[in-house]
Amino acid sequence: MSLNARLQAVRAVREELATLGIDPFGVEIDQIITPTEGVIQGRPTILAGTNNYLGMTFNEACIAAARTALETAGTGTTGSRMANGSYASHRELEVELARFYGKRDGIVFSTGYQANLGMISALAGPGDNVLIDADSHASIYDGCKLSGANVIRFRHNDPADLAKRLRRLGADASKALIVIEGVYSMLGDRAPLQEFVNVKKEFGAALLVDEAHSMGVLGERGQGLVEEAGVLADVDYVVGTFSKSLGNTGGFCVGDSEDMDVLRYASRPYVFTASLAPATIAATRQALKVLEAATDLRERLRENAERLHAGLSALGFQLGAPANAVVAVLVGEKVEALRFWDHLLKHGVYVNVMVPPATPGESSLLRCSVSAAHTPEQIDAICAAFASWPGARQPAHGG
Amino acid sequence: MNLPDITTRLIQIVTPFGQGRVPVISAATELTGDLELDSLRVMDLMLAVEDEFDISVPINSLADVRTVGDLAVLIQKTVGESA
Repeated sequence: MSLNARLQAVRAVREELATLGIDPFGVEIDQIITPTEGVIQGRPTILAGTNNYLGMTFNEACIAAARTALETAGTGTTGSRMANGSYASHRELEVELARFYGKRDGIVFSTGYQANLGMISALAGPGDNVLIDADSHASIYDGCKLSGANVIRFRHNDPADLAKRLRRLGADASKALIVIEGVYSMLGDRAPLQEFVNVKKEFGAALLVDEAHSMGVLGERGQGLVEEAGVLADVDYVVGTFSKSLGNTGGFCVGDSEDMDVLRYASRPYVFTASLAPATIAATRQALKVLEAATDLRERLRENAERLHAGLSALGFQLGAPANAVVAVLVGEKVEALRFWDHLLKHGVYVNVMVPPATPGESSLLRCSVSAAHTPEQIDAICAAFASWPGARQPAHGG
Repeated sequence: MNLPDITTRLIQIVTPFGQGRVPVISAATELTGDLELDSLRVMDLMLAVEDEFDISVPINSLADVRTVGDLAVLIQKTVGESA
């Protein structure tokens, strides 16, 4: 078997897509016009698959902060923070994130993916037990792999199943790490956080919550589901990303542990990678200020999500979860999902298509991410594109 | 619990996952090769196995499991450790 033989499965998928003439995993956006508009394949296109929940990518204050940092601190840091030094702004952002969440301290990572990798692998090691939700993001699975710990899955969003598995661990349960997400990226469904916190307390385990898809979206201050559910004080570690509501690149963790500053030095994804560029840090710091005050954006996002959810429901589509920033349409068979996705793109709407095994269960899905920057007219245009698919039910008058 | 008993119970659990891809499932049947279970189906199978035997099998311990028999041995070991 040649070294590249393991690529055969990927090659087969690529060839299948080429045969269909559809390539949702290699989309090039020729031009970005606004947070919700671009040009794809020469067509003006509404962007509804970018996770740009607050439309922060074009925020004028963030752009100005990035421009100033670019001109005063240069284009990049050219190295890792441990080996080559932190800029003052890296640390300032960590302090600001910790303050935003009311936690003891924070660590900034170079991507959200690396934040999960870095935290899980620093917290747990061989002989430890990490319990993860079955539908966890790949970054959580990969962080577990890097840790070398025993990795135990529990049924998705099922605190009772988690409790059962903690009970089996006996005395080791109090040393275990539980990892869940606030909002799950594929279907947009929320974790029953209070119930998970109850289980964590019962067994004395540590709890890490990834808030990638709820930071900026949920809670009065935009802290996410941890705020909305009123459990922030009981969550040991909150992980998040800069690449969604904050409109940039990077990731972070905040926590109350006395070891926060030691953890970073035990975290290979922190130590052995280049740190974030000054402009990225500057824009993110500005975005965090905007995010905290952006109750109006969160309200608009909620209205847009409800409008899209209602519109697609009226068309007879089966949706993954109640209205949220992620609205997922369950499509079923893979090739149909790919054709449906291509149909939407040709009608000027870009969404994401997910097929098994990336999706929970057997169904393929079309995943829309709603933005506060979408106009009601754009939401209606997205619904109209869905309505033009032959499988859609025509909405009732006034729908 | 002895290995033949575990294997018998395991085959009962595995059978619906196999969806008739092989006429008879035995200890030698390969989970991914013969039964064509992808990684997600293996994970679903493991949830069912864990319920049946009241154990938790860490994902990382599955790396060397290829056949139904391999899995039965792993279950026996895990049951022994948690007893």
